[in-house]
This record gives sequence, C-alpha cells and structure tokens, in this order.
Amino acid sequence: MKLTGPLERVLRVFLADASARRYGYDLMKAARLPSGTLYPMLARLEDEGLVTSQWEPPPGDGSGRPPRKYYQLTAEGVRVARLELAQAPVPARHAPRGTAQPAPGSTQ
Amino acid sequence: MSRAPRVQRISERFILSACRRLPEDMRAERCREWAAELPAILDDQSIRPALRRAGRALAYSAGIARTARQLGRAGRGARPERTSQWRTGAMQVRPANLAVRAAAGLVTWLLLVFLLIALTRAFPRPPGWLLILGVALAAGFDALCLAHIARAGQVRYLPKWAWALICLAQTPGGGIIYLSIGRPGRAPPIPPGSGPPEPARRP
Repeated sequence: MKLTGPLERVLRVFLADASARRYGYDLMKAARLPSGTLYPMLARLEDEGLVTSQWEPPPGDGSGRPPRKYYQLTAEGVRVARLELAQAPVPARHAPRGTAQPAPGSTQ
Repeated sequence: MSRAPRVQRISERFILSACRRLPEDMRAERCREWAAELPAILDDQSIRPALRRAGRALAYSAGIARTARQLGRAGRGARPERTSQWRTGAMQVRPANLAVRAAAGLVTWLLLVFLLIALTRAFPRPPGWLLILGVALAAGFDALCLAHIARAGQVRYLPKWAWALICLAQTPGGGIIYLSIGRPGRAPPIPPGSGPPEPARRP
C-alpha cells in the first residue's frame, strides 16, 4: 500500500475514532476529499480487507431517508493504518511555517 | 426551498446513469449507497446558501461518475471477455429486441419530420432566432450522440468511428439510427456459458 496524501487523510480521520462508523459524506467532509477520490479509495481498502462496510438499519424517524452505508476500519486496518501513519512524515500543519511544503491538496 | 428536490432528482439520475458502468454484481448496492448520501448533502445546514449545497450535490455526482468509471474499468479488467464483443457477434441483439428498437427510432424520426413540416408551415419565413435555435439543437444532438459513442464501452454492429461518422453525416437521422440500433443495452448480455449465471430477470 502506497501512502498518498488523500489516503493519509482518510486514515487519520478513521483513526481519530477507530470505533466510529462513518458514512461517505461524513468522510468526504472530515478528510476534505471529493467523492471521485474517496470512493475508489474506500473500494480498494475494502478489497484489501482494511475497511469493512455495513448498512444502517432503516431509520425509524419517519423522515423517509434511505439507509446509508457506514464504513469502519477492521482490526487489521487499524494496525496497518497506525503503522503507515507512524512512518509518514509529520503533517504540514505541525511543521513550522515556511519550512515544509504542504502536501498536495492539503488544507493549511 | 423548492430547488432541493429537483437537484436531488437530477443528481439521482446522474448517479443512476453512472452506475450502469459498474459490473452487474455491485451495481444495485453501489447505486443505493451513493444515492443515499444525497439527502445528507442537501440537508447540510453548515453549507449556505442552498445554492452552494446544490452545487456540492452536483459535484458529488460528478465524482461518483468518475468512481463508477474507475470501478467499471477494474471490473472489466477481471473479465476480459467483455471487451470486444461486437467483433465476435456475441453482442447481437435478439431479433425481437432489434425490431422494437428500430421501430422506436423510426417513430422518433417520423415525429421529427412532421414537426419540421409543421414548423415550416407556421413560419414560412423563419425568424433568425428560430434558425439559431435549430442549428444549436442539431449541434447539441450531434454532440450528445458523439459523447454517448465515446463513453460506451462497446457499440453494436459497426466500429465506433463508423457510428460517429454516420451521426455527423446525417443530422439528426444518423444519431437516431445510432441511438435506436447501435447503442449498447444497459447491461451487455454475457454470452451463454462463459459468465456467471444470470440473475433472475423481471418476469
């Protein structure tokens, strides 16, 4: 697995609370990624067994909202993500200003 | 906020058409998953005004189309027998299907001819805006057909360049012929015996 900038951001979001289940739009907002980047990545992570997905039960609040699919890291996913992030360079926002180039597409 | 339902409908249709590129085994589930995110975007009160939410929903749908293209390519890679079916004849339509498609194309074309005749009667000396509108419609239809050919994984009977030529040579007749006969079906039929058993069809 090659740790790209977007992948790193998704893994950080997942690891922020490894037990939380997150749906697609939630992840898009938290990781600041467009859907065209996020979903192929989720599909790959799921193929590799690092992420698992689950349909929520139909919401009973009468809003008629369709059920969503929720994603969560597997135990293996948590292990791999921690390992990869530990090897990753320090994210730009922790580095002093002007010393490091921000990762492409990252937020300041 | 009468805009939101319309944007949702447009986005849903967009996602639906994007999903057709997915391998059949994942199509329905992916489509439900992606469409279910739309209400979350359109009800996201942290994005204001509503127009920005609508833009966000459309951008989301465009990303879904990219995703579906990628996943579709990956799926096709695993099943190489699906790539060049028009050459092997495996993608021949059943005669009944072909007759229905051809009839639909003919009816569309006839309606168009009647419409043109009616228009020339109504405007014996057509005003400029009508001519411009006509040319724009014709160009738009050609562009639509060419985009469809370019996006289709494979087309029937003729190679893609031949269909493109036909569409351009005879506007709008060529495009109508392509859309009624040359256009691939929503789910390309898998030659019997070479793929997984087909899922149950609607009775």
